[in-house]
Amino acid sequence: MKHGGLTKFSLQNLLGPIAVLIIMTFFLNRASTSLQLMTQFAICSFMMVLALQVFVGNSGVLSFGHGSFALLGSYVSGMLTAPTNIKSHALALNQLWHFLIPLKTNIYVGLVISALVSGVIAALTGLLLMRLNGLAAGIATFALLGVTYNIFFNNKQLGPGSQALPAVPTITNTYILLVLALAAIVIVYLFNISRSGRSLRATREDPMAAPALGISIFKVRLIAFTFSGLLAGLAGGMYVHVAGTFQVQDYYLEFTFMTLSMLIVGGSASIWGAVVGTILITGVGQILLMMEQHLPIFGVTIGIPLGSRAVIIAITFVAMLLWRSSGVTNGREFSLPRFKRS
Amino acid sequence: MVQSILDAISLGGLYALAALGLGLVFGVMRLVNFAHGELITIAAYTLVLTAQLPLILSIVLTLLVTSAIAFMMELAIYRRLRGVNPAIMLIASFGLSTVLQRVYEFIFGALPKSAVVAPFLRGAFTVGGVSITISSVITVILAIAILLGMGFLVERTSLGLQLRAAAADFKTARLLGVRSNRLIGAAFVLSGVLATCVAFILVVQNPQVNPYYGLNITILALVGIVIGGISSLRGAALGGFIVGVILSALNTLLGNGRVYAYSWLFLLVLIILLVRPGGLLSKGTELERV
Repeated sequence: MKHGGLTKFSLQNLLGPIAVLIIMTFFLNRASTSLQLMTQFAICSFMMVLALQVFVGNSGVLSFGHGSFALLGSYVSGMLTAPTNIKSHALALNQLWHFLIPLKTNIYVGLVISALVSGVIAALTGLLLMRLNGLAAGIATFALLGVTYNIFFNNKQLGPGSQALPAVPTITNTYILLVLALAAIVIVYLFNISRSGRSLRATREDPMAAPALGISIFKVRLIAFTFSGLLAGLAGGMYVHVAGTFQVQDYYLEFTFMTLSMLIVGGSASIWGAVVGTILITGVGQILLMMEQHLPIFGVTIGIPLGSRAVIIAITFVAMLLWRSSGVTNGREFSLPRFKRS
Repeated sequence: MVQSILDAISLGGLYALAALGLGLVFGVMRLVNFAHGELITIAAYTLVLTAQLPLILSIVLTLLVTSAIAFMMELAIYRRLRGVNPAIMLIASFGLSTVLQRVYEFIFGALPKSAVVAPFLRGAFTVGGVSITISSVITVILAIAILLGMGFLVERTSLGLQLRAAAADFKTARLLGVRSNRLIGAAFVLSGVLATCVAFILVVQNPQVNPYYGLNITILALVGIVIGGISSLRGAALGGFIVGVILSALNTLLGNGRVYAYSWLFLLVLIILLVRPGGLLSKGTELERV
């Protein structure tokens, strides 16, 4: 396999994705209200894709389980910040455990706690899951998603069950979300070039040779899984404060598929891939949405039938895999084009 | 009690058929075909939409449609992905599954389509004071018949020999003269046939067909082949059967807690995987072929 991945610090690799995110956010945020909301969701998606990149991209092990951590983060932050009178009076929450009702913190404490809770759960489940390889690992992470979804969907003491938790306070300033995402990029970048990050990529490239160099596959995977679970929890927390509501169904198969496809389309082996994948899939989705609603795009109106958007996105994804299975960026980090002198 | 046991066996048989369809394809090309569920869905749609035709005609038509789509899947998508990382193939099949779901939703609408298929298979009869539904008996008989048929095909025919050889070592099988394109195509067509059988049984029990009709059983069958041992067809069928029986037993035993049946099932799966990562029928600890 010819996968990318960086080994030493390069300012260009780090600043490229950051600059692109800042510029995109700056222009889209002021365009219109709907584009502003799209930008906010896109930043949350990006956080999730970055979380997946840390584990899936570096280890090469597919995880369908990260939706659980996002769900958990979203639930924790939503439940901690929703107004107490909503929690005690909303019909969807009439069987809620009483000790959950008086809990009330502000958004930022909620986000920190949601990241920590998800990180701890990721570490604990990782102790079991990281012993597995290949397909068994994929199915086991899927089982984790299944268990989390099944419990939260059916248990009405824990949360709203199949209904929604309303009135979660929202973050209206896009730049707060952006700062969180940029901070995450820096931390993930430092992780990727750290000893743990490099060891993990070594196990991805050759699971036989890496242990011979003294790398414990279990240990490096567990570290990355915990870190990426923590980020996924933070992503979930951000989602809930953009959407203003928590619903279990939002973090199941479709969410898993969308975020994984963003990672794979961009190129799972690099942070730059996560940026490109998120922008591409969100952008294509938004353009198709505007076509469905017969809205003009740059002054041109192209109408497509209602419902065809989802078909086209999925087809684009499969076509992308056929065209370039290691992603648009081919797993490389950002670098400025070089001009050779002849 | 008799009915519960029969239900468990019939559910097990049904899941074994679905798992076998997945296992066949996995054997020849190391691909977990997540889109197998969409083959089941299209088979169910065809059965329901052609319900006014004579049953035999409807089944033949469904077999043709489903096998054709299975073959097209291989030709258009999977053939181009041969040799890439299995994780990418899994994701691609996940994507294909979404494409087909959305296409079904686009064509047939999100609301369920329904029609009575094979009405003579509904209802119940009594033996010695115990009431037994006809459909569960038919499911058991059908599942046993198909499993025996598949067993014969795999163990006794030249195609079966090639399938087993390819599952054991694809490269060597090719060197020995197995034609890979033809064999993989055949495996997909067979998986389409199995999907039709599964769809028939499902539709008789529940004729409300929506775009996600085959999703649930595919996830469970997938779990089945992994715990049974993905490297052998026998393991796949056994795993599917076990999942069906466990799920049925959990539904009976848990009473009001049956909404959590999936959680217990997945927990059990995790434990089985931790004890035997290669599946129940695996020999020792075998590393995934790279």
